[in-house]
This record gives sequence, C-alpha cells and structure tokens, in this order.
Amino acid sequence: MRRTVLKRALLLGATAIFAASSMPAWSAETLTVWWVKGFYRSEDEALYKAIKAFEEKTGVTIELSQYAIQDMIPKTVAALDSGTPPDIAYADSYDFQVGAKWAFENRLEDLTDVLEPMKDRFDENTLSTTYLYNDTTKERAYYSFPLKRQTMHIEIWSDMLKEAGFEESDIPQDWEGFWNFWCSDAQDGYRGATGQRAYGIGQPMGVDSTDSFFSFLTFADAYNVKMVDDEGKLLVDDPSVRDGLIGALTDYTAPYTEGCVPPSATSWKDPDNNVAFHNKTTLMTHNATISIAGKWFDDMTNPALTEEERDTAKTNYYELIRTRGFPNKPDGSPMVYRSAVKTGVIFEQSKNKERAKEFLAFLLQPENLQPYVEGSLGRWFPVTKDGMESPFWQEDPHRKSVYDQFKAGTVTFEFTKNWKFTILNNENVWAKAMNRVVNENVSVEDAVDEMIARIKTVAG
Amino acid sequence: MSKVRRPWTATETWGMIMLVPYVLVFLAFVLYPVLYGFWLARAPSNYVELYHDPIFLRAVANTLIFLVVAINVKMLLALFLSGFFLNERWWVRWLSVLFILPWAVPAIPTILSVRFMLNPEWGLVNAVWFRLTFEDGPNWLNEPWLGLTMAMLVHIWKSLPFWTLMMLTGRLAISKDLYEAASVDGANGWQKFRFVTWPSMQTLYFTLTILSMIWTLGDFNSVYLLTGGGPADLTHVLATLGIRYLRLDQIELSLATVVCAMPLVLPLVYIMMKRFSK
Repeated sequence: MRRTVLKRALLLGATAIFAASSMPAWSAETLTVWWVKGFYRSEDEALYKAIKAFEEKTGVTIELSQYAIQDMIPKTVAALDSGTPPDIAYADSYDFQVGAKWAFENRLEDLTDVLEPMKDRFDENTLSTTYLYNDTTKERAYYSFPLKRQTMHIEIWSDMLKEAGFEESDIPQDWEGFWNFWCSDAQDGYRGATGQRAYGIGQPMGVDSTDSFFSFLTFADAYNVKMVDDEGKLLVDDPSVRDGLIGALTDYTAPYTEGCVPPSATSWKDPDNNVAFHNKTTLMTHNATISIAGKWFDDMTNPALTEEERDTAKTNYYELIRTRGFPNKPDGSPMVYRSAVKTGVIFEQSKNKERAKEFLAFLLQPENLQPYVEGSLGRWFPVTKDGMESPFWQEDPHRKSVYDQFKAGTVTFEFTKNWKFTILNNENVWAKAMNRVVNENVSVEDAVDEMIARIKTVAG
Repeated sequence: MSKVRRPWTATETWGMIMLVPYVLVFLAFVLYPVLYGFWLARAPSNYVELYHDPIFLRAVANTLIFLVVAINVKMLLALFLSGFFLNERWWVRWLSVLFILPWAVPAIPTILSVRFMLNPEWGLVNAVWFRLTFEDGPNWLNEPWLGLTMAMLVHIWKSLPFWTLMMLTGRLAISKDLYEAASVDGANGWQKFRFVTWPSMQTLYFTLTILSMIWTLGDFNSVYLLTGGGPADLTHVLATLGIRYLRLDQIELSLATVVCAMPLVLPLVYIMMKRFSK
C-alpha cells in the first residue's frame, strides 16, 4: 500500500516536472529586450509606447528589462558568457566600451539587411560608426545600430555667477582665461558672497564614468591631439601628441589640485556631476549631453512634484541654467566637438534574431525613433536627417545650442577607426592618468608616458 | 558469501525523496556555478594577466591589510568590550542595546548612510568641519589610504557587536569561583584577565578570529558600498575586484580573482573544521 502511494507520488512529480518543462512550447512568442533605464519618464514612456505598438502589430510578447547604465555591461557580459544574451539590447555605453570589441570577436549579428535599405536617412558620421570589423569573417559590416548621439556642452548656473559678482559677459573666451576664471574668480567670489562651500568646476574624474573620458578627450581635442590616423594606425609616438596630452592632462588636473573641483570627483560615476550641479555644489560643469538642463524641463511637467517645485524647475530651465560650448582652443581657434553615436546590438547567440531585426526595423521608423529621442528632452541628438530638422530643436536656447553644435560639424572617436580604443575607454586609461596625478602625486609627464605606453600595448 | 543488500524501508525512501529538492537546488545553485567558475578561470594565462595588473596586486595588498589590521583591531576590541558588557549596571544594559544596532540593521542602508555622512562636499561631517574652520575637510572616501581606512572602520563598527556578543558568551561560561579565588590571592583586574580570563577564552578567541577571517575575505559590502573600490580602483579588495573585471568584459579574470582568494580561504576553513571536530 505504502509503496503504491510512493510510486504514485513519484509518477505525479515526474508528470509535473515534464509539464512545467514543456510550458514554453505552448506560450506566445517572446522577444527579450534589455534597455538602459532612461533619465526621464518621457524617454522610457516613448520606448514603452513603441514596444506596445510592436506587440500589437506582431502578436509577439516583449520581455523588457531595464538596468542602470553602470549595470548594463556587467549584466550583458554575464549573459553572453552563460549563452543566454537578450535578443536585442541597448546601452548608452556599448559604443564606447564594448561594441567594436564584440564585433571583432564575432559576438554580434550582422545587421546590414536591416540598415542598408535605410542608409540614406542617416546623417554623416552616424551609420559609419556602426560599420565594424569582424576578425572571424575578416570583413566589415553593420554590427550595431545607431539610435542617437551626443556631444560636449558646458552648463552654467547664471544666478550663482551673479552672486559671485560676475555677468556672463565677464567669462573669458580664451582657453586659459576661461578655466582660471571659474577656478579662482567665480569660486572665490561665490564663497565670499555666500559663505557656501561651492566649487567652480564640476570636473568628472571617476574611472567608472564615461563622462570623465569624454571630457578629457575633449581637452585633448583642444590641444589638437590626434592619436590615430584614418586607418586606425597609432600616432602616439609623435612628440606633438605627447605634448598635447601633457597640456590636456595638466589643464584637466590643475583645477582639482587647486581645490576648484569637488573632492569626490575622483570617484564620480556618470550621474554625479549632474547631481553636484543640481545641488548647486558647482557653478559650472561640462557634460556630454544636456541632461542637466533636461532634468529641470522634466520636473516642470512632473505631476508628482508640487506646483512650487514645478515653478522652480521652470525658472531653472528657462532663466538660470545656460548651455554653451567650450572656449576657444589654446591656439585661439574655435573648438571642433567630438560626437559619440549611441548604438545597440543583436547578438550572434540571440535566440530570436529574426524578430529582433524586425523590432529594430520597427523602432528605427521615424514615428517610433523620433519620440524616443525627443523623449530624452534634448539629452540625445538624432542620427537621422529628418530627426535633426524637427522643430523640437529650435524650441529653446538649450536645444538650439545643441543643434548649432551638431550643424557646425563633428568629429568621431578614436574607437571608430581602431576598435581597441574601446578597451582603453573601458579601462579608462584617461581617468587613471588623472588619478595618478591627483591621488598618487605622479608628475603629469610620467602619467602621460604611462598612458601612452598602455595605449601602445593595447591598441598598437 | 555475497552480502545481500537490505531494501530501503519506506521511511528511508521518504527521507531520500525529501532530500531530492535540496540536493537539486544545491547542485544547480551552488555546485554547478562554483565548478563552472573554476572551469572558466582555468587558463594559466588568466593568472599571468592578473599578476601583471597593478590593480590586482593592490587589491591583494588591501585584502591582507584588511585581514591583519581590521580583524585584530575588531577582535581585541570585542574581547575587551565583552568584559565591559558583563557589567550589570542598568545603563550598561541600555548601552548594549544601542551597541548592537549597527550589526542588527541591514548592511546597505547603514553603510550608505555612513557614505553620505562622509561625502566631502555635502556630507554631515565636512559640513560641520567647514562651518567651524571655513576650510574643506578631509577627502574621506576619495584618497586611497583614507578610503581604505574608512572601509575598515565601517567593517569594524558594523561587525563588532556580533563578535562582542560571541566573546561575552565565552566570558559567561567562565566559573566565578576562579575569579573569587584570584581575588583571595590578591590579584588585580589585569592579573585576573591575564591568568583567568585569557586562558579560558584563548581557544574561543582563535576560533572566532579564524571564522572572522573567512567572513572578512568575502566581505563585499564594506568596501563596495563605501568607496566602490575607488578612487581609480585603488581601494578594491579581492571580494570586490571581480566586479571590476566584469565591467571590463573580462569574466575569466573576474573568476580567477575569486580563485586567487582560495589559498587564503581554504587553510582557514581547514583549521576551522579541525577545531570544530575536536
């Protein structure tokens, strides 16, 4: 009797296990999507809307997982390694840190059949950055897809500047004068007038931050540093490159050692210079998007906030915060800005590649892509010609400033010519050099020599 | 003569069936990941690469400093504080309740609150400092050695109540007759500790120290939540370094880092097991 009960229990258990393991076969088709968490509700809402429209159109269920920017790469790497990557994924840091490397290692799906037909819609220097080299096929192809792009801006609290005793017209336009003004005149004036412990410059220096290397490489651009040629060959043995990097690293670290940068900047992650600025800990910061101004625009219409808070946000956006470009280069010529094209990927190991490509083609349609990009409230700039000319970019001084910078023409990052620079960005050799100087008292020259040696080891 | 196997009784069979879920979970979530990790980290080139990475060497040094300094300070403090908490005055009882709080409260909110307090710009500590001196206070979490010191202090502060409690139970097991006899012989406080307390507590102290070493080697929270391994990855310990390699798309190095901690962990576990088996 007991044995019969036992046998039945085992049989029942086995049936349950079999049934459970067979469940996916009966359920609807799913598409696994991993996407970076947006800065603003409107950004995420535009994505959800596009997803919902795709689900309605195809009957496919999308399983969306959103993660913070700093978690996206570790999670994706772990998923890739276990053989269970998402079907399609996007992170703001893929292009900088892993995209070209994954393409080289044959981990990405060729997206030529999706992107080639719509090639003409993209602006210059956008689609070309996704044309990556695969070391297995020994050929280039479109191994990632462009969604949006960014460039470097300067954000200023005009009211803090006034409290410091200055007008915007007092800000020098020459390179050295500009940084000295914020470091000494503005900071000292503000501290003297208010008794508040604010800092002149929000200078990102964290190793875990993409802001730190975007900003540093902008400083390198100011010194006309060209580390690779158009074929991706290293130029770091050229003495002028070394001199330029020394100039850039000196100017980048000097404000910190002079006490004009928040002490915690050496550990800042991407959101932290924004936070410091919002808290009025810094009078000025440079940032590779206008997310700082955008935050206040988002708050203006946030029903969760009080009317007073919404009014403050409106005042901040329209009256107190200024978006502008960099000063002239040390040689007196105007800055030419580098732009980063933000890319997503479909993995070679993805389980549902065809549907993922279908979703990609759907997402890249203007009626889906434009609301998604504009949902970031100016933080990201369109990659398509139509998107650029949307009235959205003429609606206020912040967006107009972004538009003007892109219309003036931009240059690309080193990793678009030599994929190994993604490794250098990922290691953040640039922020490491900064930290060698400010934390370990290494001379700027020695830190630059270490940096160059590492560049040659990795990308030579 | 061949041995005839006795068939399982129903009780034994049910016992085995009850064991199956645990065994499956153990295989799937403990044994498989651990073995897979070892498998991924098996290439000798991983260890060569680690050896040539200055951040890895720094993390090893930080781990050893953590083990030697933090644990000894913590255990000695626990030993002496346990003596203090033996005191039966009412206010000591109340103080012991407050003392136990850091250990009782979850790690993430407590360590993050310390992190906010120590923020050099807007943290409570430096805000007070600036009000008093009109100078910027120390850069608590962003100078490598100061950051590591803060992480050790947080680790000590967070776990000290637990070890004090352990030592207290050890002290309570010592017969009062021994202290009375020592008093009759004219022993002062220090002599009572030296000749009565310490000999009775010695074995427990070493066992707890080894246990604390094993746990500290795996302490991810104190460093990661406080400094995040920064600035410039200079305050990482072996327990947190793995996440850095994961960020660098180097999962093999991430796992090799864990394997590198084995020579430290396994002897400790072995000693621990031997002590328990006595």
